[in-house]
Amino acid sequence: MEIKLAGDFTVEKTPEEVYSFLVDPSRFCPLLPDFQSMEIVDAKNFLVRVKVGISHIRGTAAVKMTLVEEQPTKQAAYEGQGEIPGGSTTLRAHFQLEDVPGGHTRVIWSGQSSVLGHIISLSGGLLEPLGKKNVQKLIDGLQKALA
Amino acid sequence: MAGKVVAMSKKKASRGGSQRFSGNGAAAATTKWVGQPIRRKEENRLVSGKGIFVDDEKMPGMLHIRFVRSSYAHAKITRIDVSKAEKFPGVVCTLTGAEIKRQVQPFIEIGPGGAQKIADYPLAADKVVFQGEPVAAVVAETRLAAEDAAELVEVDYRPLPPVVTAEDALKDESILHPAMGTNQKTFKQAAHVVRIGRLHFHRFSSTPLECNVILATWDPRSGDIEYHCNNTFPSFASQFLAPALGVRIDQIHMKSFDIGGGFGIKITSYPYMAVCALASRKAGGRAVKWVETRIEHMQASAHGNERTFLDTRVALDKTGVILAIDSKHVDDCGAFPRYEPLGCVIWAQVLPATYRVKNVRIDMHQVVTNKCPVGPNRGYSRMQHLWFMERVIDICGQALGIPADEMRRRNYIRKNEMPYKTPNGCVYDSGDYASMLAMAKKLVGWDEWKKKQAAARKEGRWIGLGIGSTLDSGTNNFGQARIINPDAPFSGQSKVGIVKLDIYGEVVVSMGSVPQGQGHETTAAQVVADALNITPALVNVRPGFDTAHNAYTGHTGTYASQFAVTGLTAIHGAAMKLRKELSRLAAWKLQAKEQDLEFGVGGQGPEVRVKGRQKAINYWALANLVNVNNAGMPESLWDITLNCRHVFHANFQIPDVKRKYGNLTLTYAAQVHAAVVEVDRETFQPKILTYACVDDCGKAVNPLIVEGQVHGAAAHGIGAALLEDCAYDADGNLLTATFSDYTPITAMNIPDLMYGHMESPSPFTLNGAKGMGEGGAAPVHTICAALQDALYPSGVIIDDSHNTGDSLFRAVQKAESGGYAGMVRVEHRRASR
Repeated sequence: MEIKLAGDFTVEKTPEEVYSFLVDPSRFCPLLPDFQSMEIVDAKNFLVRVKVGISHIRGTAAVKMTLVEEQPTKQAAYEGQGEIPGGSTTLRAHFQLEDVPGGHTRVIWSGQSSVLGHIISLSGGLLEPLGKKNVQKLIDGLQKALA
Repeated sequence: MAGKVVAMSKKKASRGGSQRFSGNGAAAATTKWVGQPIRRKEENRLVSGKGIFVDDEKMPGMLHIRFVRSSYAHAKITRIDVSKAEKFPGVVCTLTGAEIKRQVQPFIEIGPGGAQKIADYPLAADKVVFQGEPVAAVVAETRLAAEDAAELVEVDYRPLPPVVTAEDALKDESILHPAMGTNQKTFKQAAHVVRIGRLHFHRFSSTPLECNVILATWDPRSGDIEYHCNNTFPSFASQFLAPALGVRIDQIHMKSFDIGGGFGIKITSYPYMAVCALASRKAGGRAVKWVETRIEHMQASAHGNERTFLDTRVALDKTGVILAIDSKHVDDCGAFPRYEPLGCVIWAQVLPATYRVKNVRIDMHQVVTNKCPVGPNRGYSRMQHLWFMERVIDICGQALGIPADEMRRRNYIRKNEMPYKTPNGCVYDSGDYASMLAMAKKLVGWDEWKKKQAAARKEGRWIGLGIGSTLDSGTNNFGQARIINPDAPFSGQSKVGIVKLDIYGEVVVSMGSVPQGQGHETTAAQVVADALNITPALVNVRPGFDTAHNAYTGHTGTYASQFAVTGLTAIHGAAMKLRKELSRLAAWKLQAKEQDLEFGVGGQGPEVRVKGRQKAINYWALANLVNVNNAGMPESLWDITLNCRHVFHANFQIPDVKRKYGNLTLTYAAQVHAAVVEVDRETFQPKILTYACVDDCGKAVNPLIVEGQVHGAAAHGIGAALLEDCAYDADGNLLTATFSDYTPITAMNIPDLMYGHMESPSPFTLNGAKGMGEGGAAPVHTICAALQDALYPSGVIIDDSHNTGDSLFRAVQKAESGGYAGMVRVEHRRASR
C-alpha cells in the first residue's frame, strides 16, 4: 500500500538555517512521530527506532535512513527502509527550499511511503489515515522547530 | 439443513435389486453393500476425538520450526543476519536460503523450455518472488521460542517492481503454450457472431480446517527421512524431494493418518517438507515439527489458478447453437509453476464443457507473477474453463434473446450421443444433462420464480435466475502433461490396493489413497464386503496412508476425483484375488470342488462353506492353515499368501502431442445447479433466495457420502462466488490474508441446499461409478448467471467470477456511465446453416 502526500509551508528562517536543520539527523529525526532512539552509522546513514501501533498490533520499528540527496540551501531528501510488526516499510521524504524575501524560506515537501506484508490485511483500512496523521505531525513538528 | 429436498426416484430403483460386477476379469460377486447409504465407519473415531492428526504427534526431543518470510512481492535479498536469533534461548539452529542452496538441488520442473530453467529452492536465496516466500527458518525447543527468535532475523531487501496481473506478465512474452488450429471457415458461415470482452476468473483457495503440518526426522544413522505429514499426494512429493535432497526414494518414509481437509492445496507442500528434513539433519536427527498458521497458509501455501479470458468470439447458427469458439486464455500461476503447467492442460479434459460445440480454438498462455504460487484446488483448472463456457452460453443467450434454460437445452450433448468424443479426443462416458437441468429447475421452482421475478421487477427489485452446468472429470491420464512438455516422463493412471487375511482371520484392507474426509474406509469396506459376502463391519480398513504398510505407485494420492474408480477397483481386484485363494484353500480342506463353495457369515464369523451341506471352514481356520499350521499342505497351494495386492491400470494411451489430441480422463460426473439470487437495491448485497444441486456421478457407491460431497463442493463454490478472494494490491500485498477479509464459507453463511441425484452409470468402470466430489465449481457459474439475469436489464455484464455488494455497486455505476459499451458485440449475418 502506497501513501503519497505533499505540501508546503513558510518559516521565518533563512534557507541556510532550514537546510542545516534538515540534514542534521540528530535534530531532524526526533521530530518523527513516536521517536524512541537513533543510532548514527555515518554522516549519511542512521538507524531510527520509533514506536508503532495500529489497533492491537504494537511494537517498535527499526528504520534505516539514508540522506540520499544534498544540495545546500536548495534541497534534501531521505530514503528509509525498515521492518515493522507484520511487515516492512519503505519511505522517501523530499524537501525543496525556496528563498522568500525577508529572510524567510518556503519549504515544499513531498512524502511517499509503502507498507508491505500481512499487516496490510490486518489493518489496511487504518493505515492510510494513520500514515497521513503521522506525516502531518512530522510537518507540524518541523514547522514548530523552525519557528 | 432445513429445506432439503432429495429427488431420488432413480436411486430407489437402483437400490432394490442386486447388480453384478463386471470388468477386471475377476469372478463376479453381488452388490449387497455397494449402493447402500451406510454411515461412515470413520465417523465415530473422528467425532470422539480419536482421530490422529499430525499435530497430535509428539516425539522425544521434538523441535519446532518457524519460517521468516518476505514482506516484499519482488525484491533482491541483500543481507540476512541470523546471529541474534541463534543466540536466543532455546534456539537450536537456523537455516537460510544461501545455506540450503549449497545443500540441495532445485526442485524438478514439469514445464517445458524456459520453465525448465526456473530454479525453485525451498528457501529463497538471492531474490524473493512473492509475499510470504520463506527466506530463513529458525529451529527451537519450543514453538514460542522459534516464533520469537524468527523476529530477530534481520533481512535487507532491495525492492524490485512487482508484476501482479496476467496481462502485465504477458508483456514479457512468458508464453508457455502455442496457438492451436483455426476456425475461420466456421465463423464465415455463422448466422451470428458474438464478441465478448475481457472476462476474469478470480484467485481463491481452499480453506481446510487443518493447515499444512509436517513432522520430519532425518535419521543420521540410516540417512532415512521419516515424514508424518498431511501431504495428499505423497508419491508425487517423494519424486520431487528425493532428487532435491539427494536421497533414494526408498529412503523417504511417508505416513499420514487423519487429514483435516485438503481439496488439492496440500499437494504442493513439498518445499516445506524439504526444509523440515534439512533442519532435522542440522539438529542432529531430532524430529522437527512445522504447524502452518492460517496467515501463512493464506499467504504462501498455494492458491487456485487465476485466469483471464480475452478476445472471445462465438459463432452461432440461427437457432442459437454454438458452432465455434475462439478465445485467448491467460493463466496466472503465481511465482513458481511447481505442479504447473498441468493446469495449462487439465482444462482441456472438458474442452466443450457440456455442449456439442465442435470447433474450439483456445490460445492458452500461462504467466508467472509476483503472487503466491498456485496448486491444485478443488475443480482444478477445469472450473475456470467451465466458468468461461457458462459465461459464453449466458452472454450469447442474452444477446440473442434466448432464455438460459433453452440456450442450454439447444446446446447440450444428448444422452443418446454418449459415449461422446470431444473435438480434442476425450471421451465423455455417460450423462443426461437435459434431464439433470429439468430436475434442477423442478427442485428450485424455476417456472414459479419466473413469474415472481416478473412481478418483482415491476417493484424495482433485482431478482435473477441462474443455471450452472459443470463436469467433474475424474481418473486423469498423466500423459496429458506431455501436451505441455513432450519429455515429461509420466502417463496413464494406476492405484494399488491390498486385502489380506491376518493370522487370526481378520480381513484387513490397505488403500493406495490418502483419505482426508471422503469416506474411503467406508466405501472400501462396502466393496470388500460384497466381494467376500460379509458385512462392512467385518472389514478392517487401515486409516491413512503409510509407505511402510500400504502398497503404492507413483500415482498414489487422493486427487482428481478418482477413488471410486481407481482405488475401489484396485481394492476390489485384491479382494477377488483373496477370494480365489480362500476358495482354493477351502476346497482342499473341505474336500470339495471350488464351484461348490459359497462365501458368507456363519456362527463362527466369516466362512467358506459347501453349498447345501453342513461343511464349512471359517477365516480363522483358513488363516491358521497358511500362517502357523501349514505342515501337510500340498505344494500346489504354497503360493497362497492370503495377502493379495492388485494394481488398477486405466486403459489410457499417450496423447498425440502434435495434435494435442487424446483421451485425458476416464469418467465425467456432472452437476447442474440452479439458483435464484436477489441483489439488494440499497446495499447491492447479493442474497441467495433458493438453491438446488443435481449431481450425477454414475453409480453411487454410498449415496450418503455422495450427498455429503455434493454439499461440500457446493459450499466451496458458493464461498468462492460471493465471499472468498485472494486480493492483491499493486505492490503484491495480499489484502485478504486472514479470515476477517477472506471470509470462508461456513455452516453459518451457507444457504439451504436442495439436492437431487441421478445415476448414469459409466460403461468404463467396475460398477458404473464415477469419481466425484470436486463439483466443478458449479455455484460460481450458477451465481454469476443469476446475477447476470438480475442486472442485465440495468446494462450490467457479469465479467468476473467473484461478486460482492461492493463490486456489484461498481458494476451498476459502470453500466450507468456506459462502461459496458462494446463489452458484448453481436454481428447478425445471413444464416448458412
